[in-house]
Amino acid sequence: MTELPDLRDFVRPEPLPPSATLIVRGGPDSVTKLEAHAERLLRAFVLDGAPVLGISVFAATDDIGPASLDGIAAGKLSTYRVLHTAPVGRVTAAGFPLLSTFERPHMTLLLGSLGRIAVLMELLGPAERNPQYGELTRRRRRRPR
Amino acid sequence: MTDVDITADLNAEDQTGYVWTFLDEARDPSIIVPGELVVAGDVDAPAVAVVVDLAPHPNGTIVHLDVLPGAIDSYLALARRIATA
Repeated sequence: MTELPDLRDFVRPEPLPPSATLIVRGGPDSVTKLEAHAERLLRAFVLDGAPVLGISVFAATDDIGPASLDGIAAGKLSTYRVLHTAPVGRVTAAGFPLLSTFERPHMTLLLGSLGRIAVLMELLGPAERNPQYGELTRRRRRRPR
Repeated sequence: MTDVDITADLNAEDQTGYVWTFLDEARDPSIIVPGELVVAGDVDAPAVAVVVDLAPHPNGTIVHLDVLPGAIDSYLALARRIATA
């Protein structure tokens, strides 16, 4: 059996953002949707060789630019009418570790179990309007072939 | 409500920097070919995307999507305008 790729191989060597930093997700999310997303990650990756349940978030680490809250809302998440946000400190204090994965500002929030998604939904709170919805900022430059 | 061609979490990127999902989450996998324009995401948050590539994976086939900017309503309005011109 072929091994699944390990998320650890894609962790950026950088410290966790300060506790006040917001994590952002395009929404609206629901327990059912987050379960499906976590199961997709479980199917695609392992972490340190073990099954992993998690979801993708972006960390608004900068004041300006593509990794700022405005930059993420107008860029990577501009196709979302609404966004969920929560401070890094609240999420980690509730027992959801964050890994800086793939390209900045992407992160993976580790769930531990599907049963904890309802707790996470409470932390994320109700989705709020994305004021940058429909912006025409290109999300990613196409790779040269 | 806009049906999607392929269900995906548009927050989820991988090492390519593109959004990814599995091919078997497509309504009709035969339309998911590189270069094709598709609607991706879910019914609450659909977006227009270009299929970048299909990559073999031990548990299926990974589809990479280049999500295009702009509200999907703008694309639908464009399509209607062109269709009725």
